[in-house]
Amino acid sequence: MQAVLKKLFYVMPLLFGIGFIAPLIAQTMAYWDIAAPYGMSRLAFGLAIGAPWGLYAVWRGRWL
Amino acid sequence: MDEPFGETHVLARGNAAADALAPQRDARAIPLGGPDGLDRHVRRDLRRQESAIALRYAAHATATWPYTAVALACFAAWLSFFPLAVAGILPLWLGCALGSVFVAGGYVVAHEAMHSNLGQEGTPQRFWNELTGNLSTIPLMLPFSMVKLMHLLHHRHPNDPYRDPDAIHAAPNVAMAVVQSWLNRQPGKGGTAARWRRHCAELGTAEAKRALAELMIAQVLSLAFLFAMAWSGYAIEAALLWWLPRHIGLSYIHAVLSWAPHHPHGGTGRYDSTAIIRHKLGLWGSMGIDYHLIHHLYPFIPVHATGAAYRELKPLLAQRGVDVSAR
Repeated sequence: MQAVLKKLFYVMPLLFGIGFIAPLIAQTMAYWDIAAPYGMSRLAFGLAIGAPWGLYAVWRGRWL
Repeated sequence: MDEPFGETHVLARGNAAADALAPQRDARAIPLGGPDGLDRHVRRDLRRQESAIALRYAAHATATWPYTAVALACFAAWLSFFPLAVAGILPLWLGCALGSVFVAGGYVVAHEAMHSNLGQEGTPQRFWNELTGNLSTIPLMLPFSMVKLMHLLHHRHPNDPYRDPDAIHAAPNVAMAVVQSWLNRQPGKGGTAARWRRHCAELGTAEAKRALAELMIAQVLSLAFLFAMAWSGYAIEAALLWWLPRHIGLSYIHAVLSWAPHHPHGGTGRYDSTAIIRHKLGLWGSMGIDYHLIHHLYPFIPVHATGAAYRELKPLLAQRGVDVSAR
């Protein structure tokens, strides 16, 4: 169980990017009535930002 | 282990067992170059007088139930923020501001529970001590067991760059302390999470293993809640009611409650690892951190009583050569 959790925590920034940052971006854009570029949906745009950002945090060990 | 550790050690300071537990009771207060002019008998007598005063302000001699009452009320209020905000009754900015205060204040109340000041083991009040501690750290997304373990380790090795979990907050000024707090929250090897794992591994106790397991469970559950809120269409609510207040609260805890009283993180002794300060936010704004030296000397004194204890202890501490200048 603990080993599974350890692996989960290793990729947690990626999960955070998908699970939280992506919908947060999409809903913030909707709140301010901002359209996503290139005909994307807001959620797809959020995922396009959140997932790579989370992956970067996994890779570098920091968000910025 | 060469010294007693944990709650027993911390709580024992100042009571009948203090002389046996304090490893350097006859040492000079501050190991500066010149002698303090006191012989070991005088130092021991001063220590006894100190302990006698401290015991008058101890948690068992004062009412600490208001801590529990406030903690339970604030936790209930914090929980209510979510349905109230979703229903459009609570403005998000207000929820965010109050949530930030509750995160920081929750730590201060949990801190009393860490030192068993709300109910010692074996007493009927113990249940409330543990309940208060466990509920108050939920907004931090941290389990009480881990926060308590790391805090007691901080008391054992204050300012030790390797052994004090809070030494990670050292910074040249308050602005950098906030930046450092943010850097410490990064997921990599230099972050707090990695450091806590190292401390737990080095302790190697069942208590440390349990705290680590509870840390992982607490994080998984709280993140799962955030993800569920976000994917249900309430990402902004989740961000402004929990995620952002947590970060604001942690920055406050690290910069005001940890960095300020220990800066410049130089001394590691009983009397010089922290100090009496005058925080720019004032006594209330800094949640009583001004008398942190008294807390480290006698952790069984609840935070509301440290000021009065300080005023009575001040002449004795000054006689010992302790810096009581309130820098």
